[in-house]
Amino acid sequence: MTGGDASRSHVDVITIDNLVKRRGSREILSGISFRARPGRVTGFLGPNGAGKSSTLRILLGLDRATSGAALIGSVPFAKLPDPLAMVGAMLDGPGAHRARTGRAHLRWVARSAGLPRARVDEVLEVVGLTNAASKRVGAYSLGMGRRLGLATALLGDPEILVLDEPVNGLDPDGIRWIRTLLRERAASGRTVLLSGHLMGELAETVDDVVVVNEGKVVADGTLGEVTGAYRTLEDAFFALTTGAAS
Amino acid sequence: MTVPPATRTRGREAAQALAAELSKLATLPATFLTLGGTFVVNLILAIAFTNAGLRDSTGTRSAPDIGLASIGYGQAGFVILGVMAACSEYVGGQIRTTLTAMPRRALQFTAKHVALAIVVLPAAAITAASGVALAAGVLGDTAAPVTSGRVAGALGGVTAYLALTTLISAAVGALVRRTLAAVVVLLGYLFIAGPLLRDHVPAARYLPDSAGFAMWFPPAEDAGAVTPVHGGLLLMAWTVVLIAVVVLGYRRWDV
Repeated sequence: MTGGDASRSHVDVITIDNLVKRRGSREILSGISFRARPGRVTGFLGPNGAGKSSTLRILLGLDRATSGAALIGSVPFAKLPDPLAMVGAMLDGPGAHRARTGRAHLRWVARSAGLPRARVDEVLEVVGLTNAASKRVGAYSLGMGRRLGLATALLGDPEILVLDEPVNGLDPDGIRWIRTLLRERAASGRTVLLSGHLMGELAETVDDVVVVNEGKVVADGTLGEVTGAYRTLEDAFFALTTGAAS
Repeated sequence: MTVPPATRTRGREAAQALAAELSKLATLPATFLTLGGTFVVNLILAIAFTNAGLRDSTGTRSAPDIGLASIGYGQAGFVILGVMAACSEYVGGQIRTTLTAMPRRALQFTAKHVALAIVVLPAAAITAASGVALAAGVLGDTAAPVTSGRVAGALGGVTAYLALTTLISAAVGALVRRTLAAVVVLLGYLFIAGPLLRDHVPAARYLPDSAGFAMWFPPAEDAGAVTPVHGGLLLMAWTVVLIAVVVLGYRRWDV
């Protein structure tokens, strides 16, 4: 089914093209390439330190690649005319100052894109933080912080979601909820790219899988293709990332 | 299926960035705690300076001179405010939210400094005026006569000085990214390195602190002294150059 996007507009395809990132003498990314397509949830999987967060940070214009390109449609993130309406992002942590309330945080983000205040209340409702909206972010639990991060990502009702380890810190109810939400986004034709290392939680959420290890892509395909002969995605993951696959 | 992203003009984007940065400052409790604390401490110092002025029978008792003497110390509050405005971006990973919402970094950085100026200008004016009003009230008839133009000039000079010092502090904060380190660097310069240089190096009069003091301290007698207007222009140039230099780095570095 991955070839089915040929007739569609490509403004919401994520293209990672031969990304290399060096810090000092250390090579963090050694030529990462893959695509995340509309209508699909793409799981970007790998052990800690494999280069998942670095790739996502370059995609979002937060870090600079040593070489290669990361594009939203045909442009880098920083060239998007209205980034919040195109890409919703959640990286590690709530991304919010602990002294502000959750609502105040969402309000300044909404202002930066000219979104109405009512939209802040809507996303608070969606992520189930309405009752905690007046609390300071510093008083939030890990799971509440993730929910606030997700509310921020959803503010502009974007075409694309980019989520770094979205299930970390969520309880089973939270994981089930986020899985439903991501499936609904993909079902409505939008693009979802999420990273993770908890295979059990992700196997039921993703359509496509990109596995990275030590800065390189070691597997890329549909869930079925990558799982292949292995019993589960988890087995495939461990085989691919511990060198046993070769 | 896919709706093309709505386009917005650069002007609209800038206005929205300014609104976002103003909203950040207004909802950070530290902003008003620092401004309020600075106002109170400055007023207490102004009372002390005014009392000292009352006991001093030899000096001239001018309300603006005595009432603004405390600003030399009160400026520390504005330094802290500027640094906190910049360094608060690095608490809780907020900078990543900021730059995914506003990826044009030079625009976002400029919006942050403009927002800071909008908040600080009235606060600085109120802080400065309160000291002068207090001195004028206490000194009463014993105050040396000054023209209202002289009072307005001194207040305007102090207000501009405090606002520019806040912006410089924010730029240094953005460069250093750590609140304590940036505050130590700035206060070390203003209270230790600056005065030492001023006493020993003639060219030090063109440095930001000395040029800034010339905006409101009574002009010195010697002909080479920096006038208030020149001091103001010098400090403004220092501010613009420093912000521009920090933007060059800020546009490129990983956050």
